[in-house]
Amino acid sequence: MTKQLFQGNQAITMAAEVAGLKFFAGYPITPASEIIHELVNKKHIKVLQMEDEIASINAIIGASLAGLKAMTATSGPGFSLMQESIGLAHMMEVPLVIVNVQRVGPSTGMPTLPAQGDVIQCIHGSHGDYFPIVFYPNSVSELYKYTIMAFNAAEESLSPVILLSDGFISHLYETIIPDRNFDIKNRTRPPLGAGNRHFTGLSHEDSVPKTSDVDNYRRLITRLHEKQQLTAQRYNYYEYLECSKDTDTLLISYGALSRIAYYFKNDFALYRPIRLFPIVEEIKIIASRYKRILIMEMNTGQYAHEIERILHREVEFIPILGGCIDLNEIKQKLYEQRY
Amino acid sequence: MNNDTNFKRYLKLDLLPTPWCPGCGNGIVLKTICQAFDELDLPKNGTVVVSGIGCAGRSAGFFDLDSVHTAHGRAIPVAEGIKYANDALNVVVVSGDGDLIGIGGNHLFQAIRRNTNITVICYANEIYAMTGGQVSPITPHNTKTLTTPNGNPDRPADIQFLFKSNNCFFARTTAYHLNHMRKCIVEALKFKGFSFVEARTMCIVNYGRRLGYKNSNEMLLHYKEFYKINDYAEALAENEIGIIKSAPRSSDGFPSA
Ligand SMILES: Cc1ncc(C[n+]2csc(CCOP(=O)(O)OP(=O)(O)O)c2C)c(N)n1
Ligand code: SF4
Repeated sequence: MTKQLFQGNQAITMAAEVAGLKFFAGYPITPASEIIHELVNKKHIKVLQMEDEIASINAIIGASLAGLKAMTATSGPGFSLMQESIGLAHMMEVPLVIVNVQRVGPSTGMPTLPAQGDVIQCIHGSHGDYFPIVFYPNSVSELYKYTIMAFNAAEESLSPVILLSDGFISHLYETIIPDRNFDIKNRTRPPLGAGNRHFTGLSHEDSVPKTSDVDNYRRLITRLHEKQQLTAQRYNYYEYLECSKDTDTLLISYGALSRIAYYFKNDFALYRPIRLFPIVEEIKIIASRYKRILIMEMNTGQYAHEIERILHREVEFIPILGGCIDLNEIKQKLYEQRY
Repeated sequence: MNNDTNFKRYLKLDLLPTPWCPGCGNGIVLKTICQAFDELDLPKNGTVVVSGIGCAGRSAGFFDLDSVHTAHGRAIPVAEGIKYANDALNVVVVSGDGDLIGIGGNHLFQAIRRNTNITVICYANEIYAMTGGQVSPITPHNTKTLTTPNGNPDRPADIQFLFKSNNCFFARTTAYHLNHMRKCIVEALKFKGFSFVEARTMCIVNYGRRLGYKNSNEMLLHYKEFYKINDYAEALAENEIGIIKSAPRSSDGFPSA
C-alpha cells in the first residue's frame, strides 16, 4: 500500500470505517467538524446532525444498543454537555467511541487553538465512579491506528471509549499508510428487539432495578471496574525513549505537545502515555530509574497530579497554556527548571 | 373486552407490584398501552420501549420486551437512535410531562421536525411527581405546587400546535376515558411518522391531594366532568380531548432550480 496525505480528522473517519462504524450522530464544533463532513459522504454509515451534543450521545447510545457500531465527535463544550449520558453508557454497558478534539477552554475559550484541558474531565466529568479507557495519539497515523483500537476496546469492554485529540493533530496533514489489516472486534451482545432485557442507569442486577440494595451496588461497581482494568491491559500503549546520554530526568508529555519533546531526546529520557487512562502501570518501573520526573502538558497540571498519585512522589511540572507550542519558550522553560 | 387478559403478555408480571403509590394513575396508562399493543398484536421481538426518568419512566422496566431507561429528558434521542439504526423495530417512548416537555423539550421539538417514525406516550400528570411535586410545563395557571406556593404564574404549554407544524400525530386523552385512550394509542402506533399521546393521569400523592382531592377517584371524576371528546378537530380547546386532524403535508423544502 502506498503512502497518502491525510488530515488528522480525516484519518479518524477512515479508521472508523475500517473498524466497522455504522452510525454517527454529532453537532458541529471547531476543531472536530471535519469528522462529520467526511462521514456524510460515506455510503454505509448513517449520519445524523442532531440538535445538540446531548441528543448526539443519546442517539448513539440508542443506535449502539440496536446493534450498530456508533461514534460521536466533539470538542470541550460539547464534551461537557455529553457527560451525564457518558455515565449512563457506563452503567448500561454500551460500546461507543467518543472523539474529543480539544480546544482552549474553559467555556468558549480560544476555539481554533489546541489544548489538553479535558484530561481529567475524561475520567471524572460524569457524576459517580466509572472507569473509562482513554487513548490520546500524537500523529495522523496514530489517530488512524488508535481510532481502530478505540472501537475494539469499546466492543471488548462494552463501554464508551474516549479518543482524545487536539486542534493541532486533528488539523495536521501527514502521509500515512491506511492499513486495513487490523483484527476487528465484533459485537458480542444481541441487538435490541431480541429479548426482554431492561437497560437502565439505575443500579441493577440482571435487568432488574435495585434502587437501595447496597451490596448489589458494590458488586456492580466492582465488576465494572475489574472489567475496565482487564480490557485496558490488552491495550497497553505508551512510548518510552531512553536517552543516549546519561540523564537523571524523565520528561513526560503526550498528544500534540509530545511531538516537540522529541527535540530534547538527547538531554532527557522521554515517556509518552498513549493510553492515558487507566494509567499504564509500566510508568512505575520506568519512573523508578530517574531522580527527576518532569511533566509538561497544555493545562495546569491535570495529568501531573495523576502521575504523582500513582508514583507516590513529587514531580516537576511545566504548564504550556494558551494553545501556543513554541520551541524557544519550551527550551527556556525546560532548562530553566534544571538550575 | 374488560375480561380480556391477553394484554398481560406484554408485562413482566413477576416484577409486580410497581413502585407507584396506591391510587396512582400510571398503572392505568401502562395497562392501556399493553392493551393497544395487544389489539395490534405487536410482535414482542421487534418492539422496544424507551423511557426517561420520573415515576412514569419506571414503567419501561415492566414491559416484557427489550427496554431502555435513559437519563432524564433523553428518551426521545435514544429512541431516535434505535429507530434510525433499525427501521424494522417498533419504538415506543413512555415518560412523564416534565421529562418529555420540560427538560427534554428541545428533543421533542426536533423529533417533530425530523418526523421520526416513533410513538411517544406521555403520562401527563401535570407535575414533577417523583421529586415531590414541583411545577411542570403543563401545570395549570395559578395552581399551587411546592415551587409555586402562590400559584403557578405561568400558563401551561399547549403543545398540540407543534405537531401541526409538521403534520405529525397528536392526541390528548385521560385515564378516565379508557376506550378513548386505547384508541388514541392504537392510532398513534399505526401512524407513519412521529406520534404523541398526551394521556392525562392522576398523581394523587404529590399533586391531587394538595389541591383538595380526597382520593384519585375524585380526580378521575374531574376528568369525566371537565373533558369532552372532540376527535379529528382542527385543534383542541382546553377542555377537549381527541386526536387532531392531520393536514396534507406541505411541499418539502425549496424546489431546486
Ligand atoms: C438531570 C436531572 N435533573 C433532575 C433530576 C431529578 N428528577 C427526577 S424525576 C424528575 C421529574 C419527573 O417529572 P415527570 O417527568 O413529569 O415524571 P413524573 O415523576 O411526574 O411521572 C426530576 C426533576 C434527574 N433525575 N436528572
Ligand atoms: S408520586 Fe404521584 S405519580 Fe408518583 S407514583 Fe405516587 S401517585 Fe404516582
